[in-house]
Amino acid sequence: MAQPAHRKPTRRDFLKVAAGAGAAAGITGAPWVVRDVHAQQKPKVIVFARESSYVKNFDEHFQKVLMPAYEKEKGVKIEYQIQAAGGSAVPQLVSMVENKSGADLAWVQQEWLYRDALVDVSDIAEEVGKQQGGWYDEIKSLSVDKGKWKSVPKGNIGQLMVYRKDWFEEAGIKKFPDTWDEFLEAGIKLKAKGHPFGMSMGHGFADNYSWMYPLLWSHGVTVMDKDGKKVALDSSETEKVIEYVKRLYKEACIEDCIGWLDPANNKAFLTSQISCTNNAYSIMVSAKRDLPEMGKVIDHALNPAGPKGRFHSLVPVTHGVFAYSKDVQGAKDLLRWLMNPKQYRPWIASGDMYFAPYLHGFDKVPEWDIEPRVKPFQKVLETGKLTSWPAPANRQHGEVVNRWVVIDMFTKSLTGTPTKTAIADAVAQLKTIYG
Amino acid sequence: MSSVLEATRAGAQTAPARRPVGWLRATVERESVFSWMIVTPPVLFLMLFLGYPFFYGVYLSFFQREVARPATFVGFGNFVKLSQDPIFWLAVKNTILFTAVATVLKASLGLAMALVMNQDFKMKAFTRAMLLLPFIVPTVLSTVAWQWIFDPGMGLFNRLLMISGLAKTGPSWLGNPTLAMVSIIMVNTWRGLPFFGISILAGLQTIPTELHESATIDGAGTWGRFWYVTLPSLLPVIFIVTTFSIVITFFDFQLVYVLTGGGPANSTHLMATYAYSISMGAGQMGLGSAVALSMVPVLGLLLAVLTFYVRKA
Repeated sequence: MAQPAHRKPTRRDFLKVAAGAGAAAGITGAPWVVRDVHAQQKPKVIVFARESSYVKNFDEHFQKVLMPAYEKEKGVKIEYQIQAAGGSAVPQLVSMVENKSGADLAWVQQEWLYRDALVDVSDIAEEVGKQQGGWYDEIKSLSVDKGKWKSVPKGNIGQLMVYRKDWFEEAGIKKFPDTWDEFLEAGIKLKAKGHPFGMSMGHGFADNYSWMYPLLWSHGVTVMDKDGKKVALDSSETEKVIEYVKRLYKEACIEDCIGWLDPANNKAFLTSQISCTNNAYSIMVSAKRDLPEMGKVIDHALNPAGPKGRFHSLVPVTHGVFAYSKDVQGAKDLLRWLMNPKQYRPWIASGDMYFAPYLHGFDKVPEWDIEPRVKPFQKVLETGKLTSWPAPANRQHGEVVNRWVVIDMFTKSLTGTPTKTAIADAVAQLKTIYG
Repeated sequence: MSSVLEATRAGAQTAPARRPVGWLRATVERESVFSWMIVTPPVLFLMLFLGYPFFYGVYLSFFQREVARPATFVGFGNFVKLSQDPIFWLAVKNTILFTAVATVLKASLGLAMALVMNQDFKMKAFTRAMLLLPFIVPTVLSTVAWQWIFDPGMGLFNRLLMISGLAKTGPSWLGNPTLAMVSIIMVNTWRGLPFFGISILAGLQTIPTELHESATIDGAGTWGRFWYVTLPSLLPVIFIVTTFSIVITFFDFQLVYVLTGGGPANSTHLMATYAYSISMGAGQMGLGSAVALSMVPVLGLLLAVLTFYVRKA
């Protein structure tokens, strides 16, 4: 059988195909067509964005218990968008705010950057406070802006000293050091035995701030004054603290920790490279799950005290509703429902108290007895301060945190810059930022 | 059935050619019109997805624009602010150093890789495919693997140093500012090498063998053939690949973001990571855009110097 001769495609053929494909894509992809068809069939949806939790049960409880319960009770579906943990959430939130699209309700990390895009949730926060023993004062500095609650605090991710009890005992240290000086002595002993400390000092967002700021505060140093108008970092005490950190780094720490991002100290601890770091209790969670022998010998301790007291840094988790949401009321209804003790308490418990509520009603609840080594994380709330403390938690503070002004003051001095120059550089940066 | 088809085809062939009807068809048939019709969709696509963000970035750089707040015109205020910012200048220096060293390494090693790959040996195809791996694996994924390789205690490098007895304890690759820069250059070189290797290999295969034969007859040895035949023939390819590589390396972001976040003490901050931390981290969209825009003249200057040098050569 003779084969039909192939005709060379002409330009007209190409245009026909292109036009046909374009039309097909246009019809099938036309959002108005698809939405109109399905709008009447789909239930109402509220998008809730959160950073993933290190405690697996916490996210599972939300997905398996709370989401179906809310849909059953209110007829509203929750779309749970889990963002990867480790610093990627803030850019995503900034992007949502800039594009005015995305989640309706979210864990609003670093909310000082975009408070203007959040709606007033005072009614919910005040109701929750009344119901559950009242809010801790410090968290109000973050969530309350110009007299209005812009977010409802969910809980604090406690940051404490995490250490290998067995190695400390081997080095003759029966009790975790109570002061920063004792902490340095212990570190020197441990490093001599091949178990250095690993205190994060890189461009992370939690494990560096959580010991460096408390160290400064416990020596009476703050970055700004109470009003956030005057730079307070330029002091002789700052010099002393930097000299202390130089010794701590050189004599007690693993060299690598100067460049660590947040996940690095978890990795170093779990691979037995360090004996102590400052972290949330995610290290213990991972060890108990994957390295049970190590899980038994990990313990937590409060930050050591300095001449001006003992301090901790708060890592707040707050929930806010975006003003751009097409269903602000629906998002607020969901937030109110989640913060109701009926839902809130089991939700918090499902995370093994990883998120410590900023509510006094939770100070002595039996959920804290789930694991004795978790209990110290409740104490963080008593001495915990926002990294902006005592200044307001505002945009300028956000810039200081995200440009690592204070962290780099330390690391510059550790890498050869004279202490006074490192302080002067940081002060100059602060003056530029605060104007 | 075939006779019917053939009869039909024969009829079609003998029928007079149909002439274009109407001005539209005639217009489309014109070379100049048709070529514009083909070019317009990609140009529109580029304008929308590259041109719009670029010009929006230019616009933002003249404003003080914080997230979720209205913009205030500040003219060149952001650029003046940057000119007084020591970290910005450090990022500029780092970016130029990073781009220059990584590009030279990629070009020289890529050339070597191509020369080896141009030889005949067993499993040549497989080896060539394997060498493409760094280019294929997603950057974030491979960078996480590099994090492990650089690990001070468990990492491959320090393990090798310790096992071979060259060092009792290995260095801190990402903790030491100089080594951190060396490390990010190393990873960038590893990732970009196949691009050079494969492109230069393609160039090598277009060099006529007669040229080599003539050079051999004229008494040229291996080095002479390389220097007077291979390299001059490859220069156009090397120039294009280097130009692309400079642009890509200059804007590198992912590997630094994952490996060091710009630390320690800003020693690995590149202009891209600095722009990102200011805009997406600190919420200063105007200032961040000014950092990003500052990359354009620096990059333009680099490319102009390279073009001038190659043309002169």
